[in-house]
Amino acid sequence: MEVRLDNLSKHFPGVKGAPTVKAVDQMNFTIPDGKLVGLLGPSGCGKSTTLYMIAGLHKPTAGKIWFGDRDVTEVPPENRGIGLVFQNYALYPHFTVRQNITFPLENVRPKLEKTEMEQIAQEVANLVDIGNLLDRLPKQLSGGQQQRVAIARALSKRPQVLLLDEPLSNLDARLRLQTREEIRRIQRDTKVTTIFVTHDQEEAMSISDFIVVMRRGVVHQIDAPQTVYEEPVNLFVAKFLGSPAINIFDGELKNGKVLLHGNVYHEGLKSKGKFDYFDERIYDVAVEGGYNGTKADYFASLGVDYVEEEPEVKEEPEKKTFKEKVSDLFGKINPKKKQKFVPRIIEGEVNLESIYEAVVGGGYRYTYADFEEEVGKFIVEAGVNRDVKIGVRPEAFTLDKNDNPAIDVEVLYIEHIGRDITIVANVVGQKHRIRVIIPAEERHKVKGKVIKVYPKRFYLFDIDGSRIL
Amino acid sequence: MSSKQGVLHLEKGPMQTKKSLSMPIWLKALIALLPALFFLLVFTIFPIFNTAFIAFVKDFYFQSGTGSFALASYLRQLDMHNNPDWWREYFAHIDPDIIFLQPVKPIIGFANFAYVLKDPLFRNALVNTAILTIISVPLTIMISLLLAVSLNSIKPLRATYQTIFFLPYVTNGIALGMVFNTIFSHEVGGIMNQLIQAFGGRPISWIRPLWSPAGTIPLSKFSLGFAITVQSIWSGLAFKILVFMAGLASIDKQYYDAARIDGSNRSTIFRRITVPLLSPQILYITITSFIGAFKAYQSVISIVGGGPIHFGGENRTMWITVVGYIYMNRNVEKNIPLAAAGSVVLLIVILFITLIQMQVSKKRVHY
Repeated sequence: MEVRLDNLSKHFPGVKGAPTVKAVDQMNFTIPDGKLVGLLGPSGCGKSTTLYMIAGLHKPTAGKIWFGDRDVTEVPPENRGIGLVFQNYALYPHFTVRQNITFPLENVRPKLEKTEMEQIAQEVANLVDIGNLLDRLPKQLSGGQQQRVAIARALSKRPQVLLLDEPLSNLDARLRLQTREEIRRIQRDTKVTTIFVTHDQEEAMSISDFIVVMRRGVVHQIDAPQTVYEEPVNLFVAKFLGSPAINIFDGELKNGKVLLHGNVYHEGLKSKGKFDYFDERIYDVAVEGGYNGTKADYFASLGVDYVEEEPEVKEEPEKKTFKEKVSDLFGKINPKKKQKFVPRIIEGEVNLESIYEAVVGGGYRYTYADFEEEVGKFIVEAGVNRDVKIGVRPEAFTLDKNDNPAIDVEVLYIEHIGRDITIVANVVGQKHRIRVIIPAEERHKVKGKVIKVYPKRFYLFDIDGSRIL
Repeated sequence: MSSKQGVLHLEKGPMQTKKSLSMPIWLKALIALLPALFFLLVFTIFPIFNTAFIAFVKDFYFQSGTGSFALASYLRQLDMHNNPDWWREYFAHIDPDIIFLQPVKPIIGFANFAYVLKDPLFRNALVNTAILTIISVPLTIMISLLLAVSLNSIKPLRATYQTIFFLPYVTNGIALGMVFNTIFSHEVGGIMNQLIQAFGGRPISWIRPLWSPAGTIPLSKFSLGFAITVQSIWSGLAFKILVFMAGLASIDKQYYDAARIDGSNRSTIFRRITVPLLSPQILYITITSFIGAFKAYQSVISIVGGGPIHFGGENRTMWITVVGYIYMNRNVEKNIPLAAAGSVVLLIVILFITLIQMQVSKKRVHY
């Protein structure tokens, strides 16, 4: 069953003159049939409220909920054909496991025979692997078993949508791992559309087909887990996903160059405490005279700069750097699609048309007007010098010397987690703490207190958190 | 690196907390418990044993000079019976005006119990108490449970209703009885009778025989019992609602959400979820209500309103209760051994019922 939320909002009245709390605001998304979707966000972001609205336990302030082509906004929960697994399972303590599973069936019309109910209970119990525990009381079960009973109860009425509220938060780490695989397996076996709520990114990343990242009642990004991680739409999503978290630096966008703020000591450049190394990195990806053979998203992340010597860069905003135009194209028009994309080599003058020919003509369904608008906007925006945030994922650093200038960091300690190691370090001369993940085979390169790390990839965010690059 | 090193001064060793007085823990506990223990001993434990002893002595009199110690009184009475000459001389020596009468020999045995259990008045009291208990306790529990659930499910005016239902708890029982006395007044102006007449019925003698031109309407046991039951149900609601509301508040809301998703209707939710989850509170209330109902006395005399030993009816014993019987023997008839025997019988009855309830609850109560 496809689940569609149409401008769904839930506002709670403020207590004693406080402003209205917008728990969920103007939420739109569609969950395809048979998919496992994770609602991810920090505490109080409205993800549970959304789930309860889908369940029918909360009444939305505005908007509609569609199950397939059926509007269920006004349908009471029992008629929606859903199963809900509560955070603390809400198993009736005075019922045995069997009674807990058959209790929802007692209200089914036309009435089911007792033997029929028993049979269903046995089937669902077998599905979640608790077939031998049917005569126990919930308190005689472990946390993981209780969780399975809760899922079995939710599945007993053959729901078309299964909702799980923080299904793993009450389990210990090992059990959590097992249970999430189990949830995935049950979902695959039953092919029921499943929505689960979690604040744990690992949980959401590991089993969902799609992740809905929420914050303060607003959806920030809906994408496959890997896409959300690799192409976050804004600073919040970038910071929220990833463990260890992304490293954020203050920076500046100036004359089409990205500058990292801070008194970073670097022998090669003496630029009054400011230090422009990221733009250098571009040479790596772009082959001289063209950019064939590189991935589109790689461009989006890195940009290309060919026109350093162009004399009109500062005066003529229309003749903005090629890097910005191209990067904008990928960064803004289609930042999420990860496609192998080989643009044509541009020969002759580099201008809007030629870039359009090169990249958009290569298969994108954008009209020239769209293209011009998007790129033009960026050119105007980029013309203004402004402060930005630079995000570098811990694994996007390398210890190998490359053309990039390095950031000198003072190692505080090294975390050994599994195979890779995480270096926790301070940027030399700053309080800024960063984390760098290094593969185990490069461990020997970490020598001494102060080391040099080279960023391979980075994201660029506006001060308000929106993604630029 | 940046934090100052040695701030904790670890080389000095761990910090020590204040050394506690070297007093064994049981002694500390005893000292703390002493005041409570003192009052418990004097006003609860000692009287229980004293009463139990008195109940087993036939022809017992409290002897002056022995305080409330039944054992001392018993020994003195025994001695007076055995050595009358010595005591005659003794009293003559103390005060010639006192004439010494040789007391009856106190005999330890079950004579008092035999008398009490054969006493038609006591049997009447026992039956009355049982009737009042069996009718009022289940009713008051059911009504208070329903009220608590309803109060719990409404939002507006909840506090107001709670206050209204809680008022009887903070009101004096005698005052409540007087109010009901007025409601069921034997005067023609009683509210109940006015209501009945408004609906075209004939007035009923609720508390005392009602005089009317057609002739006096006799007072039936049923009508007075009805008035007593209504009053005791109503005055008992407050505390029970309070306990049930507290119990309801402690039930996880998710059970109800789960039940709603399961499609259960209100009555199913009430029967299958609320009542079982509230069973500890229901057990507590049932036991305390039974005990309370068996101790009924004030509810009867306050509504009859004819003094401490007027239990209604022409011979004033229509709705006499066990506690009423005890009170009558203790304070009016001054037949203390009978009062004591009645108390012990009441204790045994209550104990027995409570034990049965505890046994039943093992299967029915879910903690």
